[in-house]
Amino acid sequence: MHMTKVLLIEDDNETAEEISAELTGRGFEVEWSADGFDGLDKARSLRPDAMIVDRLLPGMDGLAIVDTLRKDQVRTPVLVLSALGAVNDRVRGLRMGGDDYLTKPFAVVELVARIEALLRRPVETRETILRVGELELDLIERKVRRGDRSIDLLPREFRLLEYMMRRSDQLLTRAMLLEEVWNYKFVPTTNLVDVHMGRLRHKVDGPGEAAMIHNVRGAGFILRTVG
Amino acid sequence: MLQAQFLRSNTFRWTSAVAGLFAAFIVVLFGFIYFNIDSYLVDRSDRLIDTQIAFLASLPFEHSVNAIEDHLRQDNRGVQFSGLFDSSGKRLAGNLDQLPNDFKLGAPPQNVRVKQSGGGQPVDKLIRATARRLGNGNIVLVGRDVDETWEISHVVGEALALGLLPALCFCLLAGAWLSLRAQRRVEEVNQRVQRIIAGDLRERLPHRDVDEPFSRLAGIVNGMLNEMETMINALSGVGNDIAHELRTPLTRARLMLERGRSNATSLEQLQETTDKAIAGIDQALSIVTALLRLADIENSRRFAAFGDVLIPDLLRQVCDIYEPIAEDKQIALSVRISGNLEVRGDRDLLFEAIVNLVDNAVKFTPEGGSVMIELAHTEKGGVVRVTDTGPGIPRAETEAVLRRFYRSDKVRYTPGIGLGLNLVAAIVKLHGCRLLIHPGPGGCVEILCPGRQLDKSAKTSAVSRAA
Repeated sequence: MHMTKVLLIEDDNETAEEISAELTGRGFEVEWSADGFDGLDKARSLRPDAMIVDRLLPGMDGLAIVDTLRKDQVRTPVLVLSALGAVNDRVRGLRMGGDDYLTKPFAVVELVARIEALLRRPVETRETILRVGELELDLIERKVRRGDRSIDLLPREFRLLEYMMRRSDQLLTRAMLLEEVWNYKFVPTTNLVDVHMGRLRHKVDGPGEAAMIHNVRGAGFILRTVG
Repeated sequence: MLQAQFLRSNTFRWTSAVAGLFAAFIVVLFGFIYFNIDSYLVDRSDRLIDTQIAFLASLPFEHSVNAIEDHLRQDNRGVQFSGLFDSSGKRLAGNLDQLPNDFKLGAPPQNVRVKQSGGGQPVDKLIRATARRLGNGNIVLVGRDVDETWEISHVVGEALALGLLPALCFCLLAGAWLSLRAQRRVEEVNQRVQRIIAGDLRERLPHRDVDEPFSRLAGIVNGMLNEMETMINALSGVGNDIAHELRTPLTRARLMLERGRSNATSLEQLQETTDKAIAGIDQALSIVTALLRLADIENSRRFAAFGDVLIPDLLRQVCDIYEPIAEDKQIALSVRISGNLEVRGDRDLLFEAIVNLVDNAVKFTPEGGSVMIELAHTEKGGVVRVTDTGPGIPRAETEAVLRRFYRSDKVRYTPGIGLGLNLVAAIVKLHGCRLLIHPGPGGCVEILCPGRQLDKSAKTSAVSRAA
């Protein structure tokens, strides 16, 4: 089976080793490059499935690498890492062709979840009905069913479930949900995500039914296909 | 160094230049006066000469000799010259030995050099004179010494020397003194500033209570220094606060790890303590992140990300997100929109500001209470108002809540890091709006957005959902 190849361009040895070990442990093949020019060469020659690029690199700025690749029509998904937390940097990072942006320090779980999300980006289908296990979501009728049971959702709950169904069996961290579903660019102090997720779970996983929405401790949530 | 420097100083150069110009002007003025007086005197003596020669010429010969002698006798200053010569040029009367050579007869008074042997030493003088031939062939000459004008020029020169030279010297001295004084002031200021740079923040510039530029400048700079001293002191206070706020979760994390390491007997126990430790570290990190964000917003001018933001949409979104949380706490959350308001700004930041206000309101309102998000219009502009039935902020603390890490004693045990309102204040300020915190009971915070509002007449829509 083809192993998913990830190119990591990061000049800090320890961070690189940490990330590398974690990704290898999860079955990725990791290539590591410690400076910008070498990283760009490897990105061209190795044709990785995804890239993790630090912003501040010796030789060449991380964003410049992404920009160069994009101009060469290389569409490899890129996760930009940065110690610069400023919102403007984030916007710039995404505008320059990064697909996602993560600020240091970050939890390794967060990084892995985002890389997996990038690798399994939902295909834009013309399908108007999403299906995960016995769960069925009609985008046109705005109706949700689990088996024979129809589920009545508020618009915000519908939006959340839609996002999760497009990324079923994938770990979705709180930060990802906040950014994508609620358009938050910051992490609030209140446990917003848990409250909303609690409501949704209450409706999706009825009494006596097998749980589909799972809470992964210290990480986030997964919508699993049952059975 | 100081002595040499003042010669190069601007003040001195300017004074010198002005003094030089002044001197040149005075010289020209004196010259003008001199030449005018000179020509006036020459004119006058020429007229006298003409009158005299006409008088002498009209006399018969015997009388004319006497008249010349009389005329010369009356002249005690020795400025008159006259002579009567026969047709061959031999002297008949007067104080001149001979008729000057090449002297044109019958012409108006002219400059001529004459010799006089008279009393003692022979004199060689330049005079104004005229001569004419009389009917009997004799020649009569009348002249006048115009050396007076030399005396006048001498007086003028003396006046110049006595008046101008001291004035010039005075100017130069004044210039030197002014520039030295300015330099000394600058040096004095420099020394004080060096002390401030070295860290003595209480040092001030020398300030005299007179209305002169240096003192006024010193006054202005001192005002700035006062402001900066206050700010720096506040900042170091913030530094202490940050250290303290970070130490609390870090200490907790360290304690957990230490206890877990020595007490945990199973992997599960170890994982549990590690999770708690990570939570502590995360809390510390969130403080750092919040501070960096705050600095980012306060210092940047992020107008690049500005667009037109429709406030009603934003308020409805915030309400939508917070509804489940309010419901869990049995709090009625409602939004009331009156009219419309469009603000030029950063949508994400405005959203964050309003979320922060609503988050606070929901957090501090006891169960069974209510929170209201409102958009209203006053004559000053649109107002976003978040009110709640919680304890509110006591009057004495309405300013203190904007201090970093400030948390009212009453809410000491509610989770939070005490930076929320700082963030709101920074965002509001960035947008040119004002944050108004009204004293309790009952929380009431307003964001006053001056300027544009759209179709104020639009009907009031109220969305209200109770728990």
